[in-house]
Amino acid sequence: MKLPIFSSYQFDSKLYDEIFNDNKEVRDVYQTLFKLFSEYSVSDFASLNDKVKDAFFNQGITFQVYGDKETKEKIFPFDLFPRIIGNDEWLKLESGALQRSKALNLFLEDLYHDQKILKQQIVPRDLIASSANYLKEMEGFNPPGGIYNHVSGTDLIKHADGEYYVLEDNIRCPSGVSYVVGNREALKRTLFGVFNSYKPHNVSDYGENLLEIIESVKPKGVDIPKCVVLTPGVYNSAYYEHSFLAKQMGVELVEGRDLFIENDFVYMKTIRGLQRIDVIYRRVDDEFIDPKVFNKDSVLGVPGLFNSYIKGKVTLVNAPGTGVADDKAIYTYMPQIIKYYLDEEPILNNVHTYHCSRPNELKFVLENVDKLVVKPVDESGGYGISIGNKLTKEEIEKVKKTIKENPRKYIAQPIMSLSTHATYIEDENSFEPRHVDLRTFTLLGKDKDFVLKGGLTRVALKRGNLVVNSSQGGGSKDTWILKK
Amino acid sequence: MLARVANNLFWMGRYIERSEHIARYLSVNYFSSLDAPNEVSQSREFVLRSMLFVADEEELKEKNEFNESDILFDIGLNPEKSYSILSAIKNVQQNANGARDLISTELYESINTFNRSVKGYSAERFVKSGLFDFTTMITSSVASLRTKIRSTLLHDEVYAIIMLGIYIERANQVIRIINSKYNDALLEKVNFGGSVRTSYEWVTLLKCVETYDMMRRYYRKIPTSHTVLEFLILNPNCPRSIMNSLNSIHYYIGFLTNTENANKDSAAFLIGKLMCEYRYKTIDDFQEDLKGFIETLVDDLSLVGEKMDKDYFSLY
Repeated sequence: MKLPIFSSYQFDSKLYDEIFNDNKEVRDVYQTLFKLFSEYSVSDFASLNDKVKDAFFNQGITFQVYGDKETKEKIFPFDLFPRIIGNDEWLKLESGALQRSKALNLFLEDLYHDQKILKQQIVPRDLIASSANYLKEMEGFNPPGGIYNHVSGTDLIKHADGEYYVLEDNIRCPSGVSYVVGNREALKRTLFGVFNSYKPHNVSDYGENLLEIIESVKPKGVDIPKCVVLTPGVYNSAYYEHSFLAKQMGVELVEGRDLFIENDFVYMKTIRGLQRIDVIYRRVDDEFIDPKVFNKDSVLGVPGLFNSYIKGKVTLVNAPGTGVADDKAIYTYMPQIIKYYLDEEPILNNVHTYHCSRPNELKFVLENVDKLVVKPVDESGGYGISIGNKLTKEEIEKVKKTIKENPRKYIAQPIMSLSTHATYIEDENSFEPRHVDLRTFTLLGKDKDFVLKGGLTRVALKRGNLVVNSSQGGGSKDTWILKK
Repeated sequence: MLARVANNLFWMGRYIERSEHIARYLSVNYFSSLDAPNEVSQSREFVLRSMLFVADEEELKEKNEFNESDILFDIGLNPEKSYSILSAIKNVQQNANGARDLISTELYESINTFNRSVKGYSAERFVKSGLFDFTTMITSSVASLRTKIRSTLLHDEVYAIIMLGIYIERANQVIRIINSKYNDALLEKVNFGGSVRTSYEWVTLLKCVETYDMMRRYYRKIPTSHTVLEFLILNPNCPRSIMNSLNSIHYYIGFLTNTENANKDSAAFLIGKLMCEYRYKTIDDFQEDLKGFIETLVDDLSLVGEKMDKDYFSLY
């Protein structure tokens, strides 16, 4: 290892390093890239890094951070060193992600119809009955094309054993795909020579596939559907993503105040009057989509929208009520869910999970908080997570108390050793290993499915930190899936 | 197109145009005054008053002290002042953000770059020595935005709405600038004597609207109140004349509405009527009562704006 930018690279033999093997040799897929990087000096990297940051700001690839006084525009920090996934490794991830999405879709259909899986006690009825995300209003309803989770995001990590494990299935409004495309654009502009030596799969076809998927679930009787993306508005942290998706699909980006219901049909208010719409890719959570049915104070949704949906006049993507299946407590049952509906073995591993709602497991969790990651089942964005080995004694007691107050709300998992990847650290002006995860994006439509050949690699930028979420100071990397 | 988003695009166009007019007005007046032919035109207070009159007439009424650095800062980079160039660019960016899925990536990126340049500009440098650099940066950035608008957007409804914003704002700004320089010419006469007809301020006016050279080419005479006003108000070929703006507003409103059969209460009808009225005016029709003419035109233009709001944006 002679590169100056790697001069201070610290190996941790207990972790899986994505670039170097146990003998500290560069892994095969990274060999060419490593040679190409030998042409760069430390200052070259610093200046490329600045250029990339400017480009992200100028392109408006930003998210909003809410402060006490004002909302700040920030970029999702981007790292110049891409993550590379070989073709064989990817094929397993792709089929595994698709398998989970399909199984979750069948699970949702069952939950809102016969509930066979509950009757056969494969998944405990209590878990569903106590879920805040189960919507009684969806019972007996058949969404067009039989699809609930049209868009899914699967979060994976690679453990010290070199195997991928699924951390979470996200089937409400999974975010991040716009950064996958944005990251690739940024890297192509910055390290353009590199692409002469590598041929990763293209990631820019997500929008066209998404449009095809959402058009495939148009309401009955509609010939050419009018589709829109529904956003909470410009101040939402994921607004960039919403506008990106609308633009990629060439459809309108609407807010709740732009929509209007008349005779159960949904219309948008245009400069030429009302125009009917048929499919809404909504990026507004269930709770806020219709103040007549859910949160009465919501101004983000449209009064009467849910009724219009239930009457089949408009399709909502993803279907309301999908949250019941991406509850972290349900995650534990994914191997059984896959087996039950698809009669297949799970392709991807689950992380062993303890349910605090089960007395025996609760006891174990309370006795071992210092060795576990404790997560609330219904939060996202990395909020509410406690990583045992980072806690003080007082904090451990506090976590125990919180769990005891509402055991159903918490699960615990062993502290997984997320793999590390070389990442440029601005303050140190050098590359250092940082923990990474991977989110893949799967689309399900009527007779069509699609997994984006790429993904969002998130990086925990603070040394030793395991939380990669952007809201917790994480960054991201371009992710290359190599062609065969 | 969504009514709400159309409103964003309309105001994006207006603020793009506004920022450039204010920047030009600052620069041309300031630098013309440095070697102006008489004491009044050279006076700091005279120039600063004139600048504030165009930026925000109401603010001028409340002003007692005319400190150069303070006034330059307020008009250029004060985030607290809604009339500052900084606020205008911020509004451009925010309006573009609300319509970013409809405009080209190239235009959106140029707007962001522009916004960041203005936000990052040193206020201290601007008020002490950077007036020329700053205002040049504004005018060239706006020129670049106009190019992106013209050459990267579909020339459809989105484009028509932006252009309507640009031309309504242009007509408003030009008439305000005419008004301001007319007042300056009167003030110069009161304090210095001479004739309003041949005042130095008419040359400054032409330079503020970047039409000095073309006006000289057209008339081949020294500018007088008569020729300057005729050129800036009635000449349909002068790109910043009132007549040209009215023609353009009429043209772009035609994209949105059938102007032949426009409802009598619509913006399209009103603009058609105004355009025809001005087409058959001569300079003699309003030179006697220029002040009254300016007031009427300002009112007519704001009525067009109100009717546009009702016709196209009020659904949201």
